[in-house]
Amino acid sequence: MLKILAPVILLVLVVAATLVTDRPMPRADFAFVNRGDVNTLDLQKMSWMQDLRVARILFQGLVANDVFTHDYAIIPAAAERWEVSDDGLEYTFHIREDAKWSNGEPVIASDFVYSWRRALLPDTAADYTKLFQLIQGASAYADWRQAQLDEFAESELRGEDRRLAAEALWEEALVKFDEMVSVRAIDDRTLWVKLELPTPYFLDLLAFAVFYPVYPPLVRQYESVDTETGFIQAKTGWTKPPELVSNGPYMLTSWRFKRDMRFEQNPHYWDLDSLNLDTISTPSINDPNAAVLAYSSGVVDWVSDVTPAYRADMLADKMLFYEENRAEYDALRAQGLDVFEIDRQLPDDPRKDIHAVTAFGTYWYNFNCLPTLPGGQPNPFADARVRRAFAMTVDKQSLVEDVQRLGNPVARTIIPKGSIGGYTSPGGLRCVSDATSEAEKQEIIAEARQLLVDAGYATPADVPTIEILFNKDGGHDLIAQVVQKNWQEYLGVSVRLAQKEIKVFRDDLKKQRYMVSRAGWYGDYGDPTTFLDINRIDDGNNDRKYHNPRYEELLDKAAVELDSEKRMAMLSEAERITMDEDLPMVPLFHYMNVYLFDPDTLSGLNSHPRTEQNVYLFDILGDGKGTDRVLTMPPLPPSSVGAGIDPRGIETAILDRDELFALRTRPAEAQPAKEKGK
Amino acid sequence: MLGLIVRRLVQLPIIVLVIYTLTLSLAWAIPGNPLENPEGRQPKPEVIEAMKKQYNLDSFGNFYWSYLSSATGFKYLTDWQSGEIERERTRAQAEGQAPPKRYVFDFGPSLEYEDWTVNEIVRDSLPVSITLGSIAILIALGVGVIAGIVGAVKPNSMVDLGTLVVALIGISLPSFVIGTVLLLVFPVWLGIGDVGSSSGPLDMLLPAITLSLPFAAYIARLTRMGMIDALATDYVRTARAKGVSERVVLIRHALKNAFLPVLSYLGPAAALAMTGSFIVERVFNVPGMGQHFVNGVQNKDLFLIIGVVLVFATMLVLFNLAVDVLYRWVDPRIA
Repeated sequence: MLKILAPVILLVLVVAATLVTDRPMPRADFAFVNRGDVNTLDLQKMSWMQDLRVARILFQGLVANDVFTHDYAIIPAAAERWEVSDDGLEYTFHIREDAKWSNGEPVIASDFVYSWRRALLPDTAADYTKLFQLIQGASAYADWRQAQLDEFAESELRGEDRRLAAEALWEEALVKFDEMVSVRAIDDRTLWVKLELPTPYFLDLLAFAVFYPVYPPLVRQYESVDTETGFIQAKTGWTKPPELVSNGPYMLTSWRFKRDMRFEQNPHYWDLDSLNLDTISTPSINDPNAAVLAYSSGVVDWVSDVTPAYRADMLADKMLFYEENRAEYDALRAQGLDVFEIDRQLPDDPRKDIHAVTAFGTYWYNFNCLPTLPGGQPNPFADARVRRAFAMTVDKQSLVEDVQRLGNPVARTIIPKGSIGGYTSPGGLRCVSDATSEAEKQEIIAEARQLLVDAGYATPADVPTIEILFNKDGGHDLIAQVVQKNWQEYLGVSVRLAQKEIKVFRDDLKKQRYMVSRAGWYGDYGDPTTFLDINRIDDGNNDRKYHNPRYEELLDKAAVELDSEKRMAMLSEAERITMDEDLPMVPLFHYMNVYLFDPDTLSGLNSHPRTEQNVYLFDILGDGKGTDRVLTMPPLPPSSVGAGIDPRGIETAILDRDELFALRTRPAEAQPAKEKGK
Repeated sequence: MLGLIVRRLVQLPIIVLVIYTLTLSLAWAIPGNPLENPEGRQPKPEVIEAMKKQYNLDSFGNFYWSYLSSATGFKYLTDWQSGEIERERTRAQAEGQAPPKRYVFDFGPSLEYEDWTVNEIVRDSLPVSITLGSIAILIALGVGVIAGIVGAVKPNSMVDLGTLVVALIGISLPSFVIGTVLLLVFPVWLGIGDVGSSSGPLDMLLPAITLSLPFAAYIARLTRMGMIDALATDYVRTARAKGVSERVVLIRHALKNAFLPVLSYLGPAAALAMTGSFIVERVFNVPGMGQHFVNGVQNKDLFLIIGVVLVFATMLVLFNLAVDVLYRWVDPRIA
């Protein structure tokens, strides 16, 4: 009998061994589900939203955005102050004396020089290298280094000789950086940087995590020269505890792959008193349904990206809740209160825990603008008239109402309206869903059909079968089906759908192996160029291969324009060209971010369209830790609040956000965000 | 017995080599560039080219041999013999660098999760998968054997029919349905257990139950058939005639023989439970290895795909060997 039980005993022993070795950790003060698993904590190599969010918990840049102001005002962070030269080219930052790394060492100016050099080197393969090329000499340096590496790759050296040559190459690159690039550590606390062109959004860029510093003595230990390519490569290991050294509010104490990350207060952080949470954790939950259930059962306090299909029904339930409390809701909204603050003041109800806020991003369809398709046949979308015809016949309202069902604003421009202070969006091309009557709709369709005729397609049958490329998952198939139906019905053309795996989709997109494809973009910083640059012909993200010299001339002129108003007007005109005339892409709708949190117990989230949530500002109300004071956006002026809005997103309630920026409702000192920090 | 073990261990590298060759050929053919992010900004083509060279992704042959050399420990051995490892260490110390991380069996870096090596991923996730699989097989054995015995004692009765229906449901219902229902009932409605936590075997109970159902159903069928055959044999009849109690007849006499088919099924079942739990891992957020293969294929993370497949293949061969050894130990007539 014992023999039969042997496998059972063996299995029991395995389980017992796990029981003994794997002790669960106590729950953190605050737990949240990040958008996905963190890919890297190497600041200069980051590009994913979830990585950037964790970066802001662990690290700090020279400056930060005050996310509780309507213009995302720049506030001091590691730098206590700075000066800008009159020509807008030179910046001098003074690093605060008490800025420290988590090991107690001071944050010094050369840490930034080291980190920015990493971002510039082609060796790092950083996604955001281009942003650093605003610094004088940086672009030339990157080209010089690439040429140096290319030459080395051709070299015939082998063995020890090659290794020595590669190391000499690196030494030369270090010297050259100091010679060519205008960024200097004047002394430990003073950093000087000179730009190629005056860049009004440079400070905003510095608040972006890829500009934060890494700790050079640590990272250097993991760097080595690859003898084959001459590249400097960083081995893995330094981004994980206990090695990782950070300069932000929290430090990383545990990172278990696909399991969780845990953060504890950095005892050397200069503004330690402002923190409200001792410990933060982020369990790795990738299943959309499990994330919602984790919230429902109290495992996490915030889900940063609610994605199950039934989220639309959850939002519909919230609308019912608003209806039940209509009078109170209307009164609060009339006061111009923030959407989260309104929820906080309404009666307690689990239905109000779901929140949809407009994001700094747009979903659109690309048109391949090359004259011929990969097979060699003529590309109908090379003609702007064809692109306009197709853009006019998409029923965007139907996409928003029947497919997305989150209250997404319909997009007529690529830059979300009202998301950038001082920028006036162009009108955008009208489409069938803009029609207020059936007659107007038929007029738009007739105009679109005429555009096709003008482009040489006498009948719809003359138009080759159109293929829409999109990737699996994410609901792209439903959107494609609606667009397919629109084009077949309104233009009479034949449309087929091509659904591919994400890597294959991406590869096809990069190589222009498509006619029409889905796409999307989230802005990185508070300037129109974060969206407009991707339509420059030499931009790596111009998958459309769109080229208009007039457009690029406007962007070039705007880049040297010192007058902010004129500059914004030029950028607005550039966007008008793409959105009214050329249509290399047709914007469909602006993204929504859907959160799950209890507004009665969690404070610290902002509803600004840039939706940069800083977890280190969060506070669990009533837990006896921190200030336990509500942190919220300042109220909007009553004149900017419209009536009869969809209460799922406060941004749709703003009639004219430009007016709001002009008003700058309250001085920064009076805002709750500031009061809290004191 | 020793001959069997030696023979199987000699076969192991050949089997793994064939699997490696097939997997790499198929994974290499997947379209897409593994060095590009599916979203976001892209590195320059020159940088991509240099990275390809760095990871030996520039040609199939280069990658095949370099990976084989690292994953089999051959590279470590030659570097150690030639003194390269020592030289690396000395050089790093002299230059104030961290000593290079070297693994004997080096599965390379993960291209998708840049801060992790495949060895680290396997190190963190394999124990989780083994624990989950072990609990699932334990549950499957308990439920399956009892259901099989109950069904066999009164074949074609209502009880037997009931166990067959339950077994059919266990096989037919998809894991994500069972898993979601269990999540709703226990943590969400009854407040028993946590969603999204995987800090120990207790957190693994619900995923293990979900994972165990198809195995339990199959074990129940095997046990039932084996027991029905065993109960009809002469030695069982003799035992009953001698007045041996029914419990002893069932457990000591009949089950011992009826269990042999179950035992031979345990090898592949355990290997499958420990490696093929992608859906259960996803629904219950268990950080095991099952998801890495699927994620690896989706991201064309060649190092991860091959690393996971090599570990799975080795586990399958070793588990089958363990079962064969156990089989011969339980029933020496087989040898």
